[in-house]
Amino acid sequence: MRRRDLLAASGAAAALAGCRRAPSGPRPRVLIARAPDYGQKLHDLVRRMLAELKVDVRGRRVVLKPNLVEYEAGAAINTHPLVVGAALEAFRSLGAAEVRIAEGPGHRRITLDLAEAAGYFHFVPRFEEIFTDLNLDEFSPVLLSRPRSRLQRLYLPRTVLQADLLVSLAKMKTHHWAGATLGMKNLFGVVPGGIYGWPKNLLHWAGIHECIADLHALFPRQFILVDGVVGMEGNGPIQGRPKAAGVLVAGADPVAVDATCCRVMGIDPGKVEYLRLAESAGQTLEAHVEQIGEPVRAVATRFELLKEFAALRL
Amino acid sequence: MPFTEGEPKRLLAWQGRDGGWGYLGGGSWTEPTAFALLALSAVGNTGPEWRRGQAWLSNHQRPDGGWPPHPAVTESTGVTCLPLLLPPSQPGWGDSPKAVQWLLAQSGRESGWWYRLRQRLLGVPADRLTGHAGWPFYPGAAAWVAPTALSILALEKCERSHPSPSLRQRLEAGREHLLARRCQDGGWNHGSSRALGYEAGSYPETTGLALLALHGMHDARLTPTLRLAEESYLQCRSMEGLAWLRLALLVHGRSPAPFPSGVRCRTVIELALRIIAEAAASGRNVMVS
Repeated sequence: MRRRDLLAASGAAAALAGCRRAPSGPRPRVLIARAPDYGQKLHDLVRRMLAELKVDVRGRRVVLKPNLVEYEAGAAINTHPLVVGAALEAFRSLGAAEVRIAEGPGHRRITLDLAEAAGYFHFVPRFEEIFTDLNLDEFSPVLLSRPRSRLQRLYLPRTVLQADLLVSLAKMKTHHWAGATLGMKNLFGVVPGGIYGWPKNLLHWAGIHECIADLHALFPRQFILVDGVVGMEGNGPIQGRPKAAGVLVAGADPVAVDATCCRVMGIDPGKVEYLRLAESAGQTLEAHVEQIGEPVRAVATRFELLKEFAALRL
Repeated sequence: MPFTEGEPKRLLAWQGRDGGWGYLGGGSWTEPTAFALLALSAVGNTGPEWRRGQAWLSNHQRPDGGWPPHPAVTESTGVTCLPLLLPPSQPGWGDSPKAVQWLLAQSGRESGWWYRLRQRLLGVPADRLTGHAGWPFYPGAAAWVAPTALSILALEKCERSHPSPSLRQRLEAGREHLLARRCQDGGWNHGSSRALGYEAGSYPETTGLALLALHGMHDARLTPTLRLAEESYLQCRSMEGLAWLRLALLVHGRSPAPFPSGVRCRTVIELALRIIAEAAASGRNVMVS
């Protein structure tokens, strides 16, 4: 039996027994806000969400990491540029010393061309000046102290390693290898293509779920904001269909935020392998999360799943 | 001249003090250094700056024969094919035979017998499993279109100067690998043309690069691909895409129009590719000669 099978089996057994480790401190807060469309009201909404979650970034260096993959007109592949622009403005207004936007797409090499096509230059003021291409950034080697994957070491961009807060501005999408791609899976984009190539296929061979959990563990200071205004269902993360969920979901605990997004999408977070690997205090259980704003049941909308992932259905 | 003299000058202005080039200025990396040198050789500029760049590459060849993508990386990777594209004319140039051997020892993990057997047992149809070995970006990963196409171009040059049946055989496998990875529209994306049964679309840059690597192939299978490349060339607004497509169309006997105006070169690679493609349009194609 492989290690991942063993972990999966032990996770399932723990869930069945209802004996997952209870949170030792306060439950992580996750805020769901209704956001029916991509309009200018998003700016105010994101500001209010950060205030509600008591985000303190005064004097800190903040890096916003959107999900920028490919561009196709009419598709809901990338984090919408208005969400990125709203987050930029909101973190600045909270007194951050610096807010940068950084991404390293996994398929297309010329990141700025992709960003331009996706509308980032249009919607984000002076985008090029505040953007770092993580595929080509200066980097440092980082040892994985207790890796879940087969990786022992990763080279990672200094822009994200030196950030006081890494903000994963993810897109709410199904994913044809991982089940769902949300705040945590979005961190694949910090792995530099200049070293690992396009795509960053080493992560797949080392175990996708395990690598997601490893990357999560490498960045303890995170905040997640998931763009679920229009997400993607079916054969995500690129070829699926747009799915209007009409929400933004945010919080400082990536596992709790992703688990909450899964519930919104009609996916059982306890069955998503990377969430089980990464949870430290039972965050995949609804009772272990302090969920504020709109209740899940009020905004839940079933995202169509490929038949290969039917077992993930909540 | 179809390109302005300012472009090679701009490229030289980006050269680092250590002789190499970064992607956006900054610290030197293997890939932009190799492409910058190719571009300078395309316009006949192989003076002191070129030699300093070549020395930078020589100094960073690893004992195993390969090159790391950056001096601070302790593994050789698929960028090893790039220095092999350069003319090995200067004394003190790196150990090319060892680099060729390193490259020949690399193949995509998916072409190994163990992986293919496992996939067959899992019910993957035989036609989706290629035994034709391509090249990965990173050792231990799958083969992808860009490193396979660039390795073909590099090893072709080596094969011309040192003919070898094993090299020819591997080149043929690489070409078949590319053909097997084509998307339904006839072009190429990064190399995943179908995932879970869903067809994926192609990209202009990888379509151009793969088509360039198949320059010696006169095969009816490429007819729709060439048509797509011509259409993509008219629509593309990325210099990387335009340059690879133009190079490809030229080697396949087409006459693409000059580059549209207003397309920016934001990186050293884009500027270098622009120079290389302009030179190819003037009759000097350093990618294949």
